[in-house]
Amino acid sequence: MLEDIPVLSILTFLPLLGTLITLLLPQSRVRFIRGTAIAFTFLPLLLAIALYVSYEPIVGGGAFAEKLTWLSIPLNTEAGLADKGATSYRLLFDYRMGVDGLSLPLVLLTGAVASMASLASVYIRKRWKLYYALFLLLQTGMYGVFLARDLTLFFIFFELTLIPMFFLIGIWGYFGREQAANRFLVYNGLGSAFMLLAFLILIATAGFSATETASGTTLSFSGSYEVLLANLADPNAAVNQDSIMYLSDNLKWTAFILLVIAFGIKLPIFPFHTWMLKVHAEAAPPVVMIHSGILLKMGAYGLLRFGAFLLPGQLQSWAPVLATLGVINIVYGAILACAQKEFKLVLAYSSISHMGIVLLGIASLNEAGFEGAVFQSVSHGLISALLFLIVGSLHERAETTRIDELGGLASVVPFTSGILLTAGLASLGLPGLSGFVGEFLSFLGLFDSYPWLVAVGVLGLLFAAVYVLRSVLSMTYGPLPDRFAAIRDVRFVEALPMIALTALIVLLGVYPALMTDMMSHSFDGLLKLLQSKVGG
Amino acid sequence: MDITFAQYAWFAPLFPLAAFAILTAMGRGLGRAGAWVATAASLLSFLLSLLIAIERLGGTAEDYTGRIEWLRAGSIMLHAGYEVTNLTSLMLVIVTFVALLVNLYSIGYMKDDERISVFFGYVALFTASMLGLVLADNLLTLYICWELVGVCSFLLIGFWFRKPEARAAAKKAFIVTRIGDLGLLLAILLLYWNMPNHALDFTSLYNVFHSQSDTLSASLTTLIALLIFLGAVGKSGQFPLHVWLPDAMEGPTPISALIHAATMVAAGVYLVVRTFDIFEASQAALAAVAIVGAFTAIFAAVIGLAQNDIKRVLAYSTVSQLGYMMLALGAGSTAAATFHLFTHAFFKALLFLAAGSVIHAIHTQDIREMGGLGRRMKITAWTFGIGALALSGIPPFSGFWSKDAVLAAALDESPWLFAVGVVAAFFTALYMARLFFLVFFGAPRGDAKAYAHAKKSPAVMTVPLVILAVLALLAGFVETPWNEWLGSWLSGEEEEGGINGLVVIASVGASLLGLYLGWLFYGRRSSSGNPAAEKASGLRRILERKFYVDELYELAFVRPLAALGRGLDAFDRVVVDGAVRLAGRSVQAAGKLNTRLLNGQIQAYALCALLGAVLLILAIAGRRFW
Repeated sequence: MLEDIPVLSILTFLPLLGTLITLLLPQSRVRFIRGTAIAFTFLPLLLAIALYVSYEPIVGGGAFAEKLTWLSIPLNTEAGLADKGATSYRLLFDYRMGVDGLSLPLVLLTGAVASMASLASVYIRKRWKLYYALFLLLQTGMYGVFLARDLTLFFIFFELTLIPMFFLIGIWGYFGREQAANRFLVYNGLGSAFMLLAFLILIATAGFSATETASGTTLSFSGSYEVLLANLADPNAAVNQDSIMYLSDNLKWTAFILLVIAFGIKLPIFPFHTWMLKVHAEAAPPVVMIHSGILLKMGAYGLLRFGAFLLPGQLQSWAPVLATLGVINIVYGAILACAQKEFKLVLAYSSISHMGIVLLGIASLNEAGFEGAVFQSVSHGLISALLFLIVGSLHERAETTRIDELGGLASVVPFTSGILLTAGLASLGLPGLSGFVGEFLSFLGLFDSYPWLVAVGVLGLLFAAVYVLRSVLSMTYGPLPDRFAAIRDVRFVEALPMIALTALIVLLGVYPALMTDMMSHSFDGLLKLLQSKVGG
Repeated sequence: MDITFAQYAWFAPLFPLAAFAILTAMGRGLGRAGAWVATAASLLSFLLSLLIAIERLGGTAEDYTGRIEWLRAGSIMLHAGYEVTNLTSLMLVIVTFVALLVNLYSIGYMKDDERISVFFGYVALFTASMLGLVLADNLLTLYICWELVGVCSFLLIGFWFRKPEARAAAKKAFIVTRIGDLGLLLAILLLYWNMPNHALDFTSLYNVFHSQSDTLSASLTTLIALLIFLGAVGKSGQFPLHVWLPDAMEGPTPISALIHAATMVAAGVYLVVRTFDIFEASQAALAAVAIVGAFTAIFAAVIGLAQNDIKRVLAYSTVSQLGYMMLALGAGSTAAATFHLFTHAFFKALLFLAAGSVIHAIHTQDIREMGGLGRRMKITAWTFGIGALALSGIPPFSGFWSKDAVLAAALDESPWLFAVGVVAAFFTALYMARLFFLVFFGAPRGDAKAYAHAKKSPAVMTVPLVILAVLALLAGFVETPWNEWLGSWLSGEEEEGGINGLVVIASVGASLLGLYLGWLFYGRRSSSGNPAAEKASGLRRILERKFYVDELYELAFVRPLAALGRGLDAFDRVVVDGAVRLAGRSVQAAGKLNTRLLNGQIQAYALCALLGAVLLILAIAGRRFW
């Protein structure tokens, strides 16, 4: 039934419709605006769940794929292409959407985190109309990123997340919000430039496809993901230097390294991480929930989708580099998290550490690792969203989230403290909660080829215990300072997303097959390619 | 196939898990009713465990295994499963029995605490995880439960969260045991990639390692065994990771009895027993286990001599007794280790619960402020005395039989290990005599008012004491030199009986000497003043500071790490972020230069155009060579 409608496009553009409606509503009707925004955030989530229910891993997402020709520009035949035996040439911009076991978990994550962030937007205190309009626009960008199957389209959606995020950080954040927003834009703009360059290289070489028409052969030149995937995997195209699809090793390497930098900034990989510290510390809590919960995962997704699937050979050669970077991320982030006095910075550095585990998963080049990387992305998304929700709740009440100023909060806010402890335990990888599964699969995957790196990497788990317990226990345990004695526990509207996120974290931890089953078969093609490279 | 109770073994952890879910969902609203929910759940688990054990007593029942697929990633399949063998059924009974008694006891002990339902929720979660650990049929499932019991221990140590000491102790317990856990995790990863078919279940481990086939190289086997042992060292408080266990006494006393004496800390011993085939394949690993065990046994016993907190003395005693169990394992005898685990669970739980009864009555844990309590608390004094005799290894109390088995195994292996064990037995008797006489004999030394108010504990607390005392007295008879029933039941093989006169004489002699010296120092003379102040020698100070192990860790690990953290923090802000700021500034400067150029002067524009043209030409010309 879902196959009969363009479900992916509806899912993606529903929030955009919400933006338009929000903009038409009068500024003064705050409750109405909020209701609309929440409704248009939950509707895509429901669609995503429906998609999850009807998605069959063995079949893949083919039935849901959408394709429309968007722009077709004829090319001058004199542009050096005349000798390729075709009668006409064109530049194709397709609108292609698709879903598979790699994007579906992230779409679900986006739905879940965005919905909870929409509820958590009670912490926003001004300019609601603009806030919700941007908040919804951001969602369209995020869904688009995970569902686009065309490089140009992906790029457009990717940029579409930057602009609303810039304003969301810069207008509604804490004291240093404007600097943080600038930092965010500069870095991510730079990343986008690298990405665009890599995409252009790929489109200009491997983006060709031939179609037979009545008037002769037409060579089209597009960013279609499927075409790129097929051409890059085609062994003939790779060796035939005369082929129009020939991509020299040097160019492949250039594209790969550009992609690693572009998505490495997003993930972030050391030493490109300083921008996200500012964002974590200065942006408003619901905005950080989205940022840490979803936007960072676009880096992991991009690395897998384009780095791994399109350029497996380069990934294979660079696996030791990525694994080393991953271990550096894990240990560096964890040690620095131990040294922070501001809880938001502890969480920021902890994100760096946890994203290192994603890199380990990708570098392991086997199914356990790939699934571990995706699992870890989703799990960290849920956990960090929950943690920043709690940060928002505590900041509203205590007006600080500095570890050395808070203390004994479990006496006055037992519910929040309990959820905080649970989220902290999930973050340090306690089995039974989702964090463990992603870490275990990634470590398991990498251990086959780089046991020593894993042995160093597990130190991160030890440090994680140190920074989580150090901060959570100093905030909630111990004697209660007098000035916090009047604090009250959460309202219902805050408790709801806390319970929902905790439930998801427990559910995925207890029964991870809910997610890993979805991913099965999605990596088959890639693994076969990697195998053949080992064999040949 | 007949339906057996073993098939339903997974209900045993399910009952307390359900109780935990109910208690958590209802929150504090449930109040004291929550205590009964948890107790009922543990009663159900106990009855089921008893049925399973009785079913297996016939000795004919097959081992039963049940499993489900937990996680599949392509060719990788991870299972969650349970297995019922004679060993697991014995452990089920021990755990559920102690849990049940501790639940009952806590109804009295915790009755005035406003968070009583939270407490019982944690205890229920602990019971469920511990039963899961015991039942696990593979290492991954065991590891998951292993971590969960650890977190329950952490939660319960920090139960009185307002106390800064409890907070510090909880944090320490979690972090120190996690060091061991990482060893176990690495061992699992090693096994996964090296075992045939990536199997992690104990049956496959038995098949691979017991047959002494060369599937895994000798050095790899040793490495795996040592990593597993690292996990056991953390959990069972063996040297050098013992430091968390004495601090864990900040938790409520019933927890000390349940988790930090009878069940969870024995999980390390259980783990080694479960994976003993790997250890048997490596002489080096066995030797490491024996040496660490023997050293811990004597090291902790010596420290126990100089502690003044009643619970800390018992905690060091636990560390020391776990050392005995490891010693037995290192000497190759799983039967002796399991036997000592079995008897220790009863007499140590008894000692802690009796200590709790004392603390409940006079609200102090410092033995220098006690004395003369025997007259006011008869049941507590008698049961504590039985526990102390059992721990000291005096016949016919249960501890005698099991310690005798451990020492006999040690003597088989090496006279040195045996000698260390006997000396540790002497110290054990000495510190127990000191504890017993200082608490229950002589004149009251502490607050007179508290003494006057000291009253007998309620029945819900004393009945568990009496039950445990009976077991501490009798439990040893399941395995005597004449009738090695337990050992043969566990291993399924007939064992050679026989009494070793040397072992009996040496161990009983050492213990009696210890008790006698204890009586001399603390029993007879205690009325004449505070004995603790008598000998403040240098040695005593070292013992009171526990050989400065904590201080050493502080110097060797904690401070360097903190310094490293601060250093990297500065590096991150100054160097990494500084480079970024510098890059940003130079772009800004370029932009400013640009604005200055675009000032409306035609000459400047022309200059720019010329420069641009030159650059372009250079680029085009240079392209040919690129």
